[in-house]
Amino acid sequence: MMSSKVINLTIDGKSCSGNAGDTILEVARKNGIYIPTMCYLTKTLPIASCRICSVKVEGVDGFILSCQEKAVDGAIIKTNDSELYQERQNIMKLYNVNHPLECGVCDQSGECDLQNKTMEFGLDGQTFTAQDMPRPVQNWGYVSYDPSLCIMCEKCVRVSTEITGDEALKVKFGGYSSTIENVKQEANYATLGEAAAVCPVGALVDTKFKYSTNAWELTKIPSSCPHCGVAHDVTYEVKNGKIYRTSNQAEFTTMCSASRYGFDFANEGVTKDEDAFKLAVEKFKSAKSIVFAKEISNEEAFMFQMLKEKMGVKLISPEARAYQKFMRAYSSITGKLLNSGTLEQLSKSQAIMVLGTRINDDAPLVKFHINMASKWHRARVAYLHPIVDNNIKNIVTQYISYAVGNEEAVTSSLVSYLLKDVDGIDIDVDLDAISSEDLELLRKSHIKKVGFSLVVSSDLYAHPQAQNIAKMIALVEKHTDINVVVIPPAGNAMGVSLICDLDDEVESPSIGYNAKGDFTLSSFGGGDLDVPALNQQEGTLTSMTKRVVPMNVAVEYGGYVLNDIMNALGFSAEYTIDYTKMLPNDKGFRAVEFDDLPDHFDMQGIEHRGYMLEEVEVKADGVVEKLGNNEKLNGAVVYNCNPQEHFSALTAQSKNLTSEASLVGSEAFAQEQGLADGDTVCYTIDGIKFERVFKIDTSMKGAVALNPTFDMGLSSALLSSYRFSQVDLKKVGS
Amino acid sequence: MSLEQFKNRNVGTQNYVKLDLDHTPTSGWCQFKQVVKRTFKPELFVGLWVTLREMINALFRGKMHTTQYPFEKLPISPRYRAIHDMLRLLESGHYRCIGCGLCEKICIANCITMETRYDENQRKEVSEYTINFGRCIFCGYCAEVCPELAIVHGQRYETASEQRASFSLFEDMLTPIDQLNLQQEYQGFGAVSPNADENIKKTPLAY
Repeated sequence: MMSSKVINLTIDGKSCSGNAGDTILEVARKNGIYIPTMCYLTKTLPIASCRICSVKVEGVDGFILSCQEKAVDGAIIKTNDSELYQERQNIMKLYNVNHPLECGVCDQSGECDLQNKTMEFGLDGQTFTAQDMPRPVQNWGYVSYDPSLCIMCEKCVRVSTEITGDEALKVKFGGYSSTIENVKQEANYATLGEAAAVCPVGALVDTKFKYSTNAWELTKIPSSCPHCGVAHDVTYEVKNGKIYRTSNQAEFTTMCSASRYGFDFANEGVTKDEDAFKLAVEKFKSAKSIVFAKEISNEEAFMFQMLKEKMGVKLISPEARAYQKFMRAYSSITGKLLNSGTLEQLSKSQAIMVLGTRINDDAPLVKFHINMASKWHRARVAYLHPIVDNNIKNIVTQYISYAVGNEEAVTSSLVSYLLKDVDGIDIDVDLDAISSEDLELLRKSHIKKVGFSLVVSSDLYAHPQAQNIAKMIALVEKHTDINVVVIPPAGNAMGVSLICDLDDEVESPSIGYNAKGDFTLSSFGGGDLDVPALNQQEGTLTSMTKRVVPMNVAVEYGGYVLNDIMNALGFSAEYTIDYTKMLPNDKGFRAVEFDDLPDHFDMQGIEHRGYMLEEVEVKADGVVEKLGNNEKLNGAVVYNCNPQEHFSALTAQSKNLTSEASLVGSEAFAQEQGLADGDTVCYTIDGIKFERVFKIDTSMKGAVALNPTFDMGLSSALLSSYRFSQVDLKKVGS
Repeated sequence: MSLEQFKNRNVGTQNYVKLDLDHTPTSGWCQFKQVVKRTFKPELFVGLWVTLREMINALFRGKMHTTQYPFEKLPISPRYRAIHDMLRLLESGHYRCIGCGLCEKICIANCITMETRYDENQRKEVSEYTINFGRCIFCGYCAEVCPELAIVHGQRYETASEQRASFSLFEDMLTPIDQLNLQQEYQGFGAVSPNADENIKKTPLAY
């Protein structure tokens, strides 16, 4: 990282200090000095389109843009005088030329930068004019764009390019007639919601939200994302008991599309059903195992763990279990409970390798960070996966394809390449797994690069050789300074894996918690007893950034909660959140009351949400074993993979997200299996029967089809096997 | 006066006048005849003269003093705050409401509910608008805050109805499209009533 030499400068007569490399604006903000901005967005590079942040530097002629000019040691800076005020006033006047006076209906009214700054600079008249032109509103699907409201600050374009990487938005230059255009309109990226979130005016807004209420009437309830595993900040905006939209600290953070649009999953209209509750308590008393989805809070997971300790039930959560085993093997090498890689480090890397995950769909926020590295540091991104992903071809510099099931050999080959300079490592390597040309290309791309990251994820966890793969990857973390990011499965799989002692086999009679069991508790409806959804209860989540973050109640819930059952079983806690301080210390949790958890961002964008998990040392006694044999998968192979905006049965509840679940394969796959576009097929994975419409995606290659699992309701939590599976496709109907 | 006079019981020789009374009716028929005879006498009209005079003035000379409610109503002050009216734009006939929600927000009785949406013409459309007149206190804030003069207080003060819903929906308050030419523009706060001139009278200083 950049060495942080301290520099001193004087701003408005106040002596300020900052780090070398900081811009004038950053130094000013750190020292509590206000410089107005319109186009500045903390999370992207300076845009410098508005010129409002101009300042005067002593000894320099003209105005200096404080957002992009690096502060120099000893500089004397003036942020405001009558000349600068005049300049800023004129800029604001220009922004207001022909800006429609429709604040009464505009969605941004009340939180509009243009309104605020117009007031701030006391504009009481307009001295500029331009002939207006017809500028029709454009509906782009998830978002819609009103060019006449647009002030061309370009924030949206930068977010679309630098952060989310969909690269859909472009500036169409043309003086006064400049507009933003969507060059990938037919793709209807949900990630454009992130671009809409940073729009300072009402030009780019969510289509579903547009004109449904006034922004200033909504109550903001801070919470955390229960979907994507990053548990990033989410603010539910509520009126009359209904969530109208979600927002985030868009200045600093980015949301996954599932949270942006898939917020309507609450279990509504539930009342206390006493008979069902009594039955549930009986069933809990006689249960041998509890099967649960990984979308639960830390507290609920802890309750299950206490039940296990008291009553000896088995706890089953397949995906979290696979991850738990993987991480145990991993920490047996590193000696630390968790991997040490961070997303922040990832976004600063110059060389990134992604292994065993369809990253764009599995972990969009991690993909955003890879995209940032690609855009800011021109990172070389090697993507190792059996299926080519066209959605990320703009950031991937090298595809390394390998045979399905060959992850262990590929890992060994990659790890031995990364550890080539480390002495005394002797692991069994399969040299054929990655071709020598590919390795040579990879080596060449890494010349003169500093800051390496390795991203691995869920293809590896349920692999038959997962433990050995984990140990090999752990060697990389142990012996090099490569930033190893192990992405937990979505939901709160990480929290579950830390808190619960999970088991492998279900034993009847079982209780299902948002999963299918002999007695089912469900927040989706259709269960034997209703339980609240994750936006209806207080609790904490464990994020993949190793943070324990709070969730709050956004929608009222009138039924019984898990804590009521616990109390009926002999535990005593008034509220679910009484368990927050009891979360296991030996796994890094701290004894903090829920109500004492902080939940805000400071002026510099530093996150103060919940607390970071403490580092925990474990015994490092693992040994890397010889490579095992892998089974070759033949015939019809499908890959369990949800679309980018979907993660689980929770997001499937949402009506805002487009949720068409079909088996998608290439033309080659269709030909091989004798399928045509639109055929209905049925097949079974892990005992779960799927019946899907088959669709041909002409942009796909290879002989593996993508099989979404989010729409399987209570069954989707039961999928436990390796993500690639060989299936017996049967055509349904004609 | 001596006591002698009183002691003289010889009636026939004194100065008595005999009244010409009818016989006390003995049968029902006789009673009826007596009633009719006593009722219809010219003196009746002497007594009713003032009444008859005013009746003739009212009926035939156009000097009526009473208002024929409910067929006839007195003009009320534009300041009067009765059931709300939703006005239309005279040019296009489209309702004036832009769905800004200020009336809903300012309502201190919390009786206005509205829902808006993004319509097919990509404008803000009012999809639901109701005023709960069971709670409305007719304070007039909604009309005062409306930036488009879309919601105003109308003249409909008769709030008796079989059910409240019959005048609380948006469509019921909206000027009917075929009566757009009859739409009354809102006069503004402090406006005088239409018959204000007639109501001006000399101060009674007759003394």
